[in-house]
Amino acid sequence: MTNPSDAILTVSDAARSKVLELLNAEDQKDLALRIEITGRGAGGFRYDLQFVGETETEEGDAVIDGGGFKVLVDARSQPDLKGSRLEWVETALQSGFKLENPNPIWGDPTALAVQDVIDQKINPGVAGHGGYVTLLDVKGETAYVSLGGGCQGCGMASVTLKQGIEVMIKEAVPSIREVVDTTDHAGGTNPFYQPSKGGGGGEESPLV
Amino acid sequence: MTTRTYRAQAFLDAAGRLGVPVTVGSERPQILQAANPAGHLTLPFGETRRALAAIEAFAKAHPIGAIVATDDDGLLLAAEAAEAIGLSHNSPVSVARARDKSATRQALSDRGLRAPRFVKVPLDGDPAKHAGRMPYPCVVKPLSLSASRGVIRADDPASFMQAFDRVRKILAATRGSLAAPESLQWILVEEYLDGEEVALEGLLDHGELRVFALYDKPDPLTGPYFEESIYVTPSRKEPGVQRKVVGMVREAASALGLTRGPVHAELRLDEKGPWVLEIAPRTIGGLCARTLRFTGGRTLEEVVLAHALGLPVPSYEREPGATGVMMIPIPSGGILRGVRGAAAARAVGHVDDVMITLPPGERVVPLPEGDRYLGFIFARARTPSQVESALREAHACLDFAIDPVDTPGGGG
Repeated sequence: MTNPSDAILTVSDAARSKVLELLNAEDQKDLALRIEITGRGAGGFRYDLQFVGETETEEGDAVIDGGGFKVLVDARSQPDLKGSRLEWVETALQSGFKLENPNPIWGDPTALAVQDVIDQKINPGVAGHGGYVTLLDVKGETAYVSLGGGCQGCGMASVTLKQGIEVMIKEAVPSIREVVDTTDHAGGTNPFYQPSKGGGGGEESPLV
Repeated sequence: MTTRTYRAQAFLDAAGRLGVPVTVGSERPQILQAANPAGHLTLPFGETRRALAAIEAFAKAHPIGAIVATDDDGLLLAAEAAEAIGLSHNSPVSVARARDKSATRQALSDRGLRAPRFVKVPLDGDPAKHAGRMPYPCVVKPLSLSASRGVIRADDPASFMQAFDRVRKILAATRGSLAAPESLQWILVEEYLDGEEVALEGLLDHGELRVFALYDKPDPLTGPYFEESIYVTPSRKEPGVQRKVVGMVREAASALGLTRGPVHAELRLDEKGPWVLEIAPRTIGGLCARTLRFTGGRTLEEVVLAHALGLPVPSYEREPGATGVMMIPIPSGGILRGVRGAAAARAVGHVDDVMITLPPGERVVPLPEGDRYLGFIFARARTPSQVESALREAHACLDFAIDPVDTPGGGG
């Protein structure tokens, strides 16, 4: 099912030209560009951009006319991408796509406060061990996070979560009563646990 | 608990549900320790005196209500620390006896209980001197390693010599780890006992044994290595056999001097009755405790923590039905590249969960050297037969991609 809502995202001329150039180079004109928000951090939103088959739409996807190609945006990312503009930036040092996104990384002040604790206190601490923590959502009194890098796959990750991360978040944001790790520990490059039955994910672990 | 534990999350979740604060004592500093100094205590597990001093100093600033070791590594230290600061606990002597397989055998024998004949051979001893005198088949094993690590059956002097050498190498590789150095100086050789195995999970309260579960282990454990696989409860053994098992564990715990807290016992059964192989004063290892759920949805860890703290335990009754776990057998040594079929395995009827606990890219080491689980399959059904069938069906769905590399000890 699609939801035509072109206002979610516009594509600059430079970005459009680059996408078409890449599609022509691939000689695959039946590809669409999928854009997804994968996380938030001190630098703002984190995005994933990839070419997928243009028929590979999912429930709730917005299908946007990029001008010669389709752009797919998943339902969860749509509110936080509204009004964004996909740019192509090319300087002497680097080049790449860039999303000019006018939205705050969290509309909810509680989530924003939790994000601040993660950015200012928690991630600098876990970075020394090659890990990072991503806030996925705040619902009521619960903050949902995922652990990545060195944290993902560490047998003591639950200790870090309950004895460190949760304590720090609850201290700084008293309205939060619980922090839940939703990490898909079966994914990524350093998975530890398969997701539990019915607990989301459920895909095969990678076979290289 | 050490950083190699599988039990951290279960115990922390249990403490959270009970609403009791926890201090995690572990051998390495925790990442965010500075933010929660009362929540962490770094302990040199291999240096008992220093570790005890650290716990005593900590307890003066942060009163401790109970000390619970989640795994074998911390058992003796927990007992000594509890004694030092005046908490109810099994005595250090009893725990040391339970941790040392030869001391366990001796205590059982002294009490007149069935115990396999055994001999303790110095690590640097000449196995050739003993090879001709052993009763074959026999089993060569370390004194204190767990999960069948380093346990090898020998059927004749030649295989005894090979097994002894292999166990010696395993113990050498273990030096510098958390195992008590004294226990690494000896190798136990005992007569091989034929028969099926069962396991008992329970709790001692002032010396009285409460039985939570008696597990059947339907896969034969005949050697040369003794890889655990399926545990299913309730047991399908005759009631009279089950009573004998419970009675034997009760007697054996008493012989060791264990009086309080969780016990996990492993036994062999022959036509004359049960033999106690081990009684560990801790909960069942790996993630197997997930098979136990008590009235009200409580976990084994909640029951154990509440009991240790003297909190009311509303019920020691388990939820009805049969349950079981398969510790997924390691098909070969090498580097794990991935697992196919997990979704299909989870979809098998009565299967609760499939957890692969070894990350891709990690080395897979089979027994007798290996000490990490590949993963676990959990099932729950009306009958033990349904549980066992579900575990086997789910296991058949799994396909492990393991790139071969040279394994320590030359294979196996």
